[in-house]
Amino acid sequence: MTEQEVIKLTNEVFVDSFEIEKSKLLPQANIFVDLGLDSLDVVDLVVALQKKFGVTIRDDERVRSIRTLGDLQQFILTIKKEIGK
Amino acid sequence: MRLLKIAFLNFFFYSFFIIFSLTAYVHLGILICLSVIILPKRKILKFIRLAIRWYGAVIIRILPWPFVRLNYKNFQTGNLKPPYIFVCNHRAASDPFLMAVFPYEIVQIVNIWPFRLPALGIIAKIAGYLNIREMPYAEFTAKTAQYIKEGVSIAAFPEGTRSRNKSVGQFHSAIFRTALETHATIIPVCITGNESVPPIGSSLLHPGVIKIHRLAALTWDDYKTFSPFKLKNHVRNIIAQEVLIMDKTK
Repeated sequence: MTEQEVIKLTNEVFVDSFEIEKSKLLPQANIFVDLGLDSLDVVDLVVALQKKFGVTIRDDERVRSIRTLGDLQQFILTIKKEIGK
Repeated sequence: MRLLKIAFLNFFFYSFFIIFSLTAYVHLGILICLSVIILPKRKILKFIRLAIRWYGAVIIRILPWPFVRLNYKNFQTGNLKPPYIFVCNHRAASDPFLMAVFPYEIVQIVNIWPFRLPALGIIAKIAGYLNIREMPYAEFTAKTAQYIKEGVSIAAFPEGTRSRNKSVGQFHSAIFRTALETHATIIPVCITGNESVPPIGSSLLHPGVIKIHRLAALTWDDYKTFSPFKLKNHVRNIIAQEVLIMDKTK
């Protein structure tokens, strides 16, 4: 899966599950401050991402350091690469 | 002249606040002890919550008068019966006292600090107020759902902390998840003018008019198709728009 595909699918999750406008989905957008998710919304986000990408990220410690949409996209890209190896 | 007003307000408010609070705590303590003997637990809780409302009304309506005045408007239409979930913006430490304008049995969702207040913190705990910061989410939803079932309304400040400017901060979704589970009626409440009663980091009260607008209710039919995220942002937008208008008008 390419970086562009990951970005596209990740953004789709935000649009479909949270009805966030595409214009707000910038790599530097802070998931909590700019996009308005809280810790409970993040649980919903993780479920939606797992479904979308067919990966398990719930128990991954690296999730805790994610702050921006760009961080999240890079994290998913890394996970997908790890699975592909 | 303004400095003189501030001096008068704070001198009289805090003098009477201490006297009234001490008297109220002693009397409430005695009444609670007596009521434990003769009343069932549900009635005792109802009584304590009513007493908190009276206490709040005195603190916010009588003691700072005429320097601080309340301007309460109810824009709710129809004949919806409680329990409600009051969702309020949050600018000042006086917000929990302002809930006294609502004539219902209410439990508030509060941060850590109100529970640390001498006497009042203990009474809030006894009254079943919920400390969201120190409570697992599952316990929070179970308790709020139980309150709704018992007919007790809930007041929440989903920004979680006082706004440091006049904007409405991002909302936490916990209370909206409760609403979606219990189908409770949501009432957006906008509070302005209290940002200096008292300002953040100070105990000094400033004269002014506190405006409280109770907006049109959102019933289950209005929001049943919403996700928690959409619902919290929908309510936040309603409150933010009204707050903007309230701040612009005198």
